[in-house]
Amino acid sequence: MKRLFGFLAVLMVMSLVLGACGTPATPATEAPAADVPATGEKTVLNVWSFTNEILTMAVAFEKSHPDVDVVYTMIPMTNGEYQTKLLATLGTAGVPDVVALEAAFVKSYVESDFLADIGDLQKYADELKVYPFVYEVGMADGVHKAYAYQATPGALFYRRSLAKEYFGTDDPVEMQELLGDFDKYIAAAEVIKEKSGGDTYMVSSNGDFQNLFFANREQPWVVDGKLTVDPMVDKMVETVKIFRDNGYEARATQWQEGWFAGMNDTLTDAAGNPKKIFSYFLPTWGLPYVLYPNSTSSDGASTTKGDWAVIEGPLPYQWGGTWLGVMKETKNMDLAKEFVRFCTLDEENLTNWATGVYTNEYLKAIDPTVPDDQYQAAGDFVGSQVVVEKIMASFDESEMSKFLGGQNSYGGFAAAAPSVNARLMQGSDDAIQRALNDPLNSYLEGTITLDEMWATWKDAVRNEFPDLIID
Amino acid sequence: MFKLKHHQYGYLFVAPFIIGFLVFGLYPVVNTIVLSFTDRTLMSSSYSFTGLRNFQLLFADKTFITAIKNTWQLWLMNFIPQMGIAFLLSIWFTNNRLKLRGVGVWRMIFYMPNLMMASAVAALFFSLFSFYGPVNQFLVRAGFLPEAIDFLRKPAVARGLVVFIQWWMWFGQTTILLMAAMTAISPSLYEAALVDGAGTIQMFLRITLPLIKPVLVYVLVTSLVGGMQMFDIPYLLTDGRGSPSNSILTNTINMYMKFHSSKGHIGAASAVGLVVFLMTSIVALLIFFLLREKHDQPAKAKR
Repeated sequence: MKRLFGFLAVLMVMSLVLGACGTPATPATEAPAADVPATGEKTVLNVWSFTNEILTMAVAFEKSHPDVDVVYTMIPMTNGEYQTKLLATLGTAGVPDVVALEAAFVKSYVESDFLADIGDLQKYADELKVYPFVYEVGMADGVHKAYAYQATPGALFYRRSLAKEYFGTDDPVEMQELLGDFDKYIAAAEVIKEKSGGDTYMVSSNGDFQNLFFANREQPWVVDGKLTVDPMVDKMVETVKIFRDNGYEARATQWQEGWFAGMNDTLTDAAGNPKKIFSYFLPTWGLPYVLYPNSTSSDGASTTKGDWAVIEGPLPYQWGGTWLGVMKETKNMDLAKEFVRFCTLDEENLTNWATGVYTNEYLKAIDPTVPDDQYQAAGDFVGSQVVVEKIMASFDESEMSKFLGGQNSYGGFAAAAPSVNARLMQGSDDAIQRALNDPLNSYLEGTITLDEMWATWKDAVRNEFPDLIID
Repeated sequence: MFKLKHHQYGYLFVAPFIIGFLVFGLYPVVNTIVLSFTDRTLMSSSYSFTGLRNFQLLFADKTFITAIKNTWQLWLMNFIPQMGIAFLLSIWFTNNRLKLRGVGVWRMIFYMPNLMMASAVAALFFSLFSFYGPVNQFLVRAGFLPEAIDFLRKPAVARGLVVFIQWWMWFGQTTILLMAAMTAISPSLYEAALVDGAGTIQMFLRITLPLIKPVLVYVLVTSLVGGMQMFDIPYLLTDGRGSPSNSILTNTINMYMKFHSSKGHIGAASAVGLVVFLMTSIVALLIFFLLREKHDQPAKAKR
């Protein structure tokens, strides 16, 4: 009997605690002062992102909306922390009002039930002539759920000095003629290999190509719940095989040492022979964030600054980008929409963003607590054609244009942007494409046949997508 | 509130643990079991019970079978040498006749790799063995290789590296545990055995081994549990998907991939977790059974 009593006592304590756990979402502590304005308290808007980029716009937003306090949370996505955190918060009271979504996973959110319909912003997008692919990514079944401030068309960067050496010209127009489609690009790779005696590679890694071919498919990966391989994917496999077998590719891996070393001309093979890389496929953000910072070696001895040029390249494509969406559960729907409109579809903000108006001093004047390294340098390529055309000329003398040997950096992307198509993007793309990397590399190394490669890939996709129909 | 009687205070004292266990231990386990029978994804708010479908799909899936095989292989390949070395070192270090000096220093050195972050270790080996990395540079320049090899694209090399890293990180820990068990054995037993004319091997088999059995069971079971959940090193060493050719794809990586795919299939991921849990439990129980204390059983007349 005593034992029973003790057990009951424990049970009671437990049920109290569990009961307390059973009712999360205590709005009293969590809810911002949303419904009680005018008491001097600011309305809180929770924004989550994976870089500190959008913080700049959040501060600028507070300037034009003094009654709003944007609470900005940055969670890195180096190893997928951001996605994991966001996934874990879905459906709980902890969801933010506005979320930043990266290209790799924006579609899975747009396709899900978690983002609100923000289609009433489309009129602003039409007004500012936003590139269709930019808002198409944020659409599912005809409903607009996310917008982006930037457009991220891809381009081809090449070394001017090497172009002169092997083709007798470094002029972007002539080079676009020479490299305008993949047959020409392969022929040019052969010329470079022959003339350099194999010391200059056309590209650094086979990963560089994949976005181009994937962006030019005619069917998405999943058609009516069935895994589908577009002929363009076969073409990609064929092309990377040619590049590997003929030694046009340096066998580096994207985002790794050898890939970066080629950018500042310090690549050496294992025996110590110097090697050069002729071209890199990179999108808009690749210029200021990847190519430019890596163009000088760590000891400062070797630099390729001023030796680059940018052209559209063999195929139009887009790579990366950040979209903003509003969570359905937000308690500040109108304000959240207004924040998305301000960040992505406001002419003044986009102009300020792209032309370097948002300096650290500018942001500090609004909010003195802004970190010292928070600012937005000029040069991000924005999604509005209206803004792009207005500000293009201001980049003639910019740092990035000097880096490109005097070529207007903005102009190169403006030429590439209209032909980009992102209609085929699906939530499962990233995982399906990643699953191809390992079998593709095994095929390139000759350890498996082409048929085995497809079979291995299908097994890997099946493992991650139990509901997909795969023959 | 009611008044507690003296002997009931105990319940109050154990309550924090029990509550913690129920909330953070039992609830997740039960929830995982429930989830494994659903098609729940994180990207959709509706889901339904699908019975055993997740398990049917799993066992029809080659990748899952590969992951199970890999996990066992990687664990056995690092555990057997790990025990061997740990036994050898702890016997040397505790041997009264050898009287090695600087045992403390060696013990610390051997334990050191365990203090390093798995991510740092993986990154170190990753850059050492990359195509443009120092190992290739050394081997080619010294003439051992005609040209660079993409080591981390070779299944055997990737597997070997995982096994080596796991061994290197954990043999110190095992050595310390075995040493602790061996030092606890009374020297008088060995002295008596010596007087009776026992040899070193005999003493090891008849005195040391039986007396450290509880610790041995502990080491075996914890290592088994850790090995079945091997994740960080194989995840970080290559692309996080068990490449090359799924050679270092472990159960937990497989589970993480299902959870982390664009839809977040937590139902399917839970099914993997449940199968691994059952497999580990059965093997752990088997170990307990095989290494049980024989004299706990109903006594039989021995002489």
